[in-house]
Amino acid sequence: MEEEKLRLDAPADMVIRHYADMVYRLAFARSGSQYDAEEIFQEVFLRYVKKKPVFWEEEHRKAWFLRVTINCCKKLQNSAWRRRTQELDENIVFETQEEINLYRELQRLPAKYREVIHLFYYEDMTLEEISRMLKRKNSTVRTQLTRARAMLREFMREEDYV
Amino acid sequence: MFRENYRNLNSHISPDERLIDITIQKVQKQQEKQHMMSFASHRPAAWIAAVCICVLVTMPVLAANVEPVYQILYAISPAAAQFFMPVHKADEDNGIRMGVVSAYIHENKAEIYLIMQDLTGERIDGTTDLYDSYSINCPFDSTASCEFLKYDGETKTASFLIRIESRGGRIVSGDKVTFSAGVFLSRKKKYENVEIPVELTSVWEAEERQKVETRGGGGSGYERYADSEGFVEALIPDEEGKEFLVDGIDLTGIGYIDGMLHIQTSVKNRIENDNHGYIYFKDENGNAIYCDCNFYFSDDKENIDYCEYVFDIPQSEIEKFGLFGDFVTAGMRTEGDWRVTFPLNEG
Repeated sequence: MEEEKLRLDAPADMVIRHYADMVYRLAFARSGSQYDAEEIFQEVFLRYVKKKPVFWEEEHRKAWFLRVTINCCKKLQNSAWRRRTQELDENIVFETQEEINLYRELQRLPAKYREVIHLFYYEDMTLEEISRMLKRKNSTVRTQLTRARAMLREFMREEDYV
Repeated sequence: MFRENYRNLNSHISPDERLIDITIQKVQKQQEKQHMMSFASHRPAAWIAAVCICVLVTMPVLAANVEPVYQILYAISPAAAQFFMPVHKADEDNGIRMGVVSAYIHENKAEIYLIMQDLTGERIDGTTDLYDSYSINCPFDSTASCEFLKYDGETKTASFLIRIESRGGRIVSGDKVTFSAGVFLSRKKKYENVEIPVELTSVWEAEERQKVETRGGGGSGYERYADSEGFVEALIPDEEGKEFLVDGIDLTGIGYIDGMLHIQTSVKNRIENDNHGYIYFKDENGNAIYCDCNFYFSDDKENIDYCEYVFDIPQSEIEKFGLFGDFVTAGMRTEGDWRVTFPLNEG
């Protein structure tokens, strides 16, 4: 997560470095592909300088990046030119067998479930915040989270359901 | 546990330095290009639309044409659209008057008191509900809500409180807000804890059933019923409907599917009347037993929305329970076109 404080008028290269991990991880979680995540990563920051959005609070900039990353993922997914998903785990080194197992289970989830899991468990967003960002009904997001949890049940404990 | 594991997993997933450098280079090139073209970036569409609306609102004969221009301008620049909108604190259509009583701001929040009065009949009452027909247009990014406050029977007036919170700092005195509504529901009836007369001992395994695509559902057992594509096994609706005590909601099926008791209700034209409810059982001691899950599906051709409840109550024990429900229905729907535009003032 980003620790250092960023000025609202910070130059683009500082903004990119500040949000690099957040954008890349969400893009990877949604697309399930390093190659796609790289493409999405560049597209998100290009949109940022093209659109020049104005923010009054850093939280708004963060929300903007999350929203645009999701939009770019969808756009790429729908693209007729989209390459087939490739085997990508050769570049990711995990520390434990459990992490490898979790990664493989996550890869089996539908993309829309992976993005909800990521926003809820990694970005600590509430269901309402997720439904606003994804423009889905609250009940739909809740159902998707429930289904994703059910599919990942061997990695879940009781405390993970709150 | 999962949260921690998921975070650890993500710590291994990062963009490499090469990707960050390439992106920064591309972004800097884009900025240089934009700088060269900056003279052309004066948002001509917004200015053209602003001039159009300015001309239209100053010429009364053409004022009726403001709407499409306003909508275009609002989509391009909400601040410009609201700036050019004329103040119009009261509006009347279909014998219903809408008016703004007060509009105050406190830092980044605004509170607006608004009334709706029936000038010709009894369509407005203490259950008046603007439903989801209203919209609130502001010149700044905001979140807003509208809540019913009270009804005065003597003047046939309902009052509402609109709350607006800016998402980008203080609201400036003089900023104009437009509130509009196109329909309201009234004569709403609430049915609470009503017993539904059904001969439960004669409910058996459903002979016919159908696979339907759900629009969603809930409850702890929902996962077990819906397949990965969202299809579930449901009762076939009884077109005649069974005798039911709620006007506007029908009981269209009851039967067992694979040992689970399914009960199906339906609402016609739900989008227009917002009729809804919830059913449950009660045991001999009055304890409520809620469904294991419920799910929704539609017949788009007939414009009927179905809700099917699934209970884990075996047929051998059904006689110990009674069927109950809570429901809300609307008896009247009134359409119109009401719109007010007003400035916000410091409180």
